[in-house]
Amino acid sequence: MQRFSFTYSAGPNGALTTQQVLNKQNHFMNTSGLFRFPTQLTRICTVPWGLRLWEKLTLLSPGVAVTLVQMAGKKDRPALLSLDENELEEQFVKGHGPGGQATNKTSNCVVLKHIPSGIVVKCHQTRSIDQNRKLARKILQEKVDIFYNGENSLVYKEKREAEKKKQERKKRAKETLEKKKLLKELWESSKMSTEKRIADSD
Amino acid sequence: MELWSRMLWALLFGPGRKGGTRGWAFSSWQPHPPLAGLSSATEVVSHWKGVFEKKGIPEAQESSEYIVAHVLGAKTFQSLKPVLWTQPLTPQQLQCIRELSSRRLQRMPMQYILGEWDFQGLSLKMVPPVFIPRPETEELVEWVLEEVAQRPRAVGAQGGPLILEVGCGSGAISLSLLSQLPQSRVIAVDKSEAAISLTHENAQRLQLQDRIWIVSLDVTLEGSWTHLLPWGPMDLVISNPPYIFHQDMEQLAPEIRSYEDPAALDGGEEGMDIITHILALAPQLLKDTGSIFLEVDPRHPELVSSWLQSRPDLYLNLMAVRRDFCGRPRFLHIQRSEP
Repeated sequence: MQRFSFTYSAGPNGALTTQQVLNKQNHFMNTSGLFRFPTQLTRICTVPWGLRLWEKLTLLSPGVAVTLVQMAGKKDRPALLSLDENELEEQFVKGHGPGGQATNKTSNCVVLKHIPSGIVVKCHQTRSIDQNRKLARKILQEKVDIFYNGENSLVYKEKREAEKKKQERKKRAKETLEKKKLLKELWESSKMSTEKRIADSD
Repeated sequence: MELWSRMLWALLFGPGRKGGTRGWAFSSWQPHPPLAGLSSATEVVSHWKGVFEKKGIPEAQESSEYIVAHVLGAKTFQSLKPVLWTQPLTPQQLQCIRELSSRRLQRMPMQYILGEWDFQGLSLKMVPPVFIPRPETEELVEWVLEEVAQRPRAVGAQGGPLILEVGCGSGAISLSLLSQLPQSRVIAVDKSEAAISLTHENAQRLQLQDRIWIVSLDVTLEGSWTHLLPWGPMDLVISNPPYIFHQDMEQLAPEIRSYEDPAALDGGEEGMDIITHILALAPQLLKDTGSIFLEVDPRHPELVSSWLQSRPDLYLNLMAVRRDFCGRPRFLHIQRSEP
């Protein structure tokens, strides 16, 4: 089962410290994580969105900025900007009762809200609250990425990549088919002319 | 309607009619109004939700959704392909839903109705009266995984960690640890034969039987745990022991009271009986700085803390208390220190 890098204890009383969270987030970031940040800065500066820039900077906790600098050597998929748990509001089924052994509730739907953007994700994909929480965060992370980065978001970039690859494959397949067709025609016409020569020579 | 479909209809919707294909609507065996014509999944969910609500069955919507999704081959309604929400259901599917729903009307827990449930990404078989894993307990497993990841242990020839689970029930905790710690080995004990049997079955379903030893044992019986000594000192003891205060047992919902093994729930007067037994025997089974992870009642952190102070001979320290997703103190990490 994939391990996610988030801490999701219900309040500020979770057992993980910020440092532990950072250690785990490290290996999801790489060089492009570093370059995303300055690119965003220059783009925003050319547009009169000065206020937006500061909003964004204050929203990202120091912890996240530090993570961006600590690059791991991993070269695969560039990571989405991590969600800060302090910006999330999570809701489970109301009235869970005393909880634990004293309760047996099956309503495992998770509602997760990203406060700065107002995006809400509702997840009831699995029968496990734990899995739904993780999935909700993953989905929310992608939606937040699209919200802030629009066309430049990872989701859209990957979609365009996939579409491009698909078109290339189609093109190659078509070319191969045409080549085969041409070869077949050549072979058949040479066969016919050979037969004709044999027939003529009889 | 053709003859064969009329016969099928009659077969499906019971005997005792006054005559005609609609007579069954008045039969006492058939208290619910018929679903006219072809019904889609969404309509069927709505229908049974109404039935459950009328009969005061809690989680009417969720119950209905789980049953319909299950019959259509999905784990949750939301995970069904949307195209299936509006397609008509077959008579066989409707009958299956009817049967499962009738069990829900008897307040049977969903996990027993479906015969399975998920825990930490694993699908486990569920059979009454073996205790049903609770969602909070997934966080106990998460905590243990975090701790193990942070302590690169001196790994012996056979890998590790070596874990003892007390009160394994369906095997949820043991099997989820095994599946996420490929080098680990588990000794799982329970005093219930049904639990031993179910854990064994789930271990085989998940192909984890090679790394788990399932032992029928009542740890509260004098000296019973000495049978575990041959396995050698353990790295971890983990448990979700019966921790309900005895006086709270009668307040439990019918789903729990009528279907789950009370021995898996009742922790005695202050819910501490099994907890204290585990803490008392753990030092003899644990390695020098081994750990105990417990799920408990929110009133227990204080009680456990005082109890440990009264037992300095055990060399156990309460290291951390962790809250569950509802913000209640739910999990304890106790560590053995060298005597």
